[in-house]
Amino acid sequence: MSITEPLSQTLPNRVIPVLGILALALVWLLDLGTIQPNRIVPGAGHGLLAAVGWTGAGLVAGVLAAAILVSILPLRQRYGLLLGLIGLSLAMMPLLLDVFATRHLPEDSPYARSSIGAGFWCLLFLLSLMLIEILGRLRASRWLQLLLLVMMGGSWVVLLQSDGLESLSLVREFNARSDKFQQALWTHLALALGAVTISAGLAFALALKMIRSPTWQRPLLGAVSFLQTIPSLAVFGLLIAPLSALSSAFPMLQSLGIRGIGWAPALLALIAYSLLPMVRNTFVAITDVPENLADAARGMGMNERQVFFQLKLPLALPVIIEGVRITTIQAIGLTAVAALIGAGGFGSFIFQGLGQAAMDLVLLGALPTIALALLADALLTMLAASLRPTPATA
Amino acid sequence: MIELKNVTRRFGDTVAVDSINLTIETGEVCVLVGSSGCGKSTTLRMINRLLPLSAGEILVDGEDIATMNPEQLRLNMGYVIQGTGLFPHWTVARNIAMVPRLLNWPKKRIDERVDELMTLLDLDPVTHAHKYPQQLSGGQAQRVGVARALAADPNILLMDEPFGALDAITRDNLQLEMLRIQKQVRKTTVFVTHDIDEALKLATRIAVMDQGRIVQHDTPENILRHPASDFVENLVGKQDRGLKLMSLRPVRDLMTLHVAPKQMAPGMEGIKEEDSVRLALSVMLWQDLHQVAVFNAQGQETGVITRERIIQEGV
Repeated sequence: MSITEPLSQTLPNRVIPVLGILALALVWLLDLGTIQPNRIVPGAGHGLLAAVGWTGAGLVAGVLAAAILVSILPLRQRYGLLLGLIGLSLAMMPLLLDVFATRHLPEDSPYARSSIGAGFWCLLFLLSLMLIEILGRLRASRWLQLLLLVMMGGSWVVLLQSDGLESLSLVREFNARSDKFQQALWTHLALALGAVTISAGLAFALALKMIRSPTWQRPLLGAVSFLQTIPSLAVFGLLIAPLSALSSAFPMLQSLGIRGIGWAPALLALIAYSLLPMVRNTFVAITDVPENLADAARGMGMNERQVFFQLKLPLALPVIIEGVRITTIQAIGLTAVAALIGAGGFGSFIFQGLGQAAMDLVLLGALPTIALALLADALLTMLAASLRPTPATA
Repeated sequence: MIELKNVTRRFGDTVAVDSINLTIETGEVCVLVGSSGCGKSTTLRMINRLLPLSAGEILVDGEDIATMNPEQLRLNMGYVIQGTGLFPHWTVARNIAMVPRLLNWPKKRIDERVDELMTLLDLDPVTHAHKYPQQLSGGQAQRVGVARALAADPNILLMDEPFGALDAITRDNLQLEMLRIQKQVRKTTVFVTHDIDEALKLATRIAVMDQGRIVQHDTPENILRHPASDFVENLVGKQDRGLKLMSLRPVRDLMTLHVAPKQMAPGMEGIKEEDSVRLALSVMLWQDLHQVAVFNAQGQETGVITRERIIQEGV
């Protein structure tokens, strides 16, 4: 990390106190966790004090108060201190649940389980916002951010596997279907990334076609925009009939697993949705390369192929990757919906959970979907940044 | 040698270049000058086939360019444009190496050539080779643009308002630089500008263009002394011609030589043999002198130039 502006480092921070006060209020007002007698019956909520006792509550309040103090006192190492404090707190948060479960879970009832309350989620969210603010002020490099992410994720995974958290409803739901979870992960990734890869190839070809023959621009952009306007559920539904007809007409397709429901219509719909951002970004990126550069390149003796591969494509790549990033995040989210037509993936947990009124099963589907989307976002942003020609000095 | 024979270029119904004939001798700097839209850039872009001809033919060393492969043709013609056209995702060294790489030169030879050119253009290879174009000043970037054009040692140099976007001081410096480099490398150069002073300074011969035609093609001195039409006369500035002519003439022509060169006395001011008569007159007027000492490149005083001689014979 580079500290280039000492002034902004020493001035008091206003964002962190606001977030800190909000967190203090919410963590005291809302339930930290609930204890359910079994999987379905709604449980009894416990506030911060009731949940983790005076020691735990004091620790949480102390950390937040310390963060507020450090951010307003005239300290030189303000953001370094804050990074340590908030980072450590975030990494250790599952311990709160551990303490909560050991204090409140009835010993004699094997079906009883603990689950995470709104207070915990709010605390997690606000601490994360603080961390983002701190990293921004420190101008932390992408690598440091990634390292922090890995360390925190690792700490959570290790802590969640501990015995004390075996009672956590989310963990129980996971343990009950760890095979299915892994399968869902692969299906989800295969569907989302498969759709992105195929539509990237398709979009590249379409964008090139639009650049070569301008008469195609309007109809092609119109068509992909139209695809984007159909509601996602409708596309999934609309594809059932034609694909069923196809697969009953050609038994060979059936042996490939192409049916009215399942992965085939899901993949098709995801590709259709991915086309607009991909085509638009690719087209705009390549046509935006200044004409005087292409002119200079041709004037120096480059042929059209060399102009494209040595000039236009490298300059367009960051914007194209940006399109891939948007599309990937969108596809990861949409794949969850595709579970409705039997495509599998994390969406299947969400819909099962909704059907059984088991909210922690919904979370088991939703949380990894969000995590995947965030991970894809981080990786592709890094890729785009590393492809930019110069350290931003233009 | 470049020969344009009855070259015409039409864009739809408008005639941009109207049947022009022009011969550019090997090693000379031909400046195409005229107001915007007169067809000067179009003419330049036809020479490297960025634009096709509507009629006529262009010969380079006697060979019709229409029969040549356009990429091969351009690889042998350096091309410098306004605003440099440097690739923003390539370093300075990589930009300069562009044509040698297209020609598949071995890496060692390319590196040596890049170093040599950066030194020729007064850019320190150690500090600048690995910078990106956005990190350079306008003048430095245009030096890189010229170095890139010279990289594969082409016979011909095409320059399309290369110094148009620069401030006056930087432009002046680069013009002097170009004269210096041209003395060393002697490229057949076609230079497009709308600035008549730039044309007078750089040209071996000037082709004045108006509405797609060449209205006069002659040396700077003849353009000033005998403008072919009112248009040319207005372009060179009717009243200002006396001083412009003086700026074309070196002091060497009008100085009175000493019998033997003298060593320069310390603290003495003077002008150089290759400075213009105009500068000499300006120095004398400002310092209220009747004559001023003239020095050669070795710093020896070789003679004097007097006010009377300039007034009598300067123009």
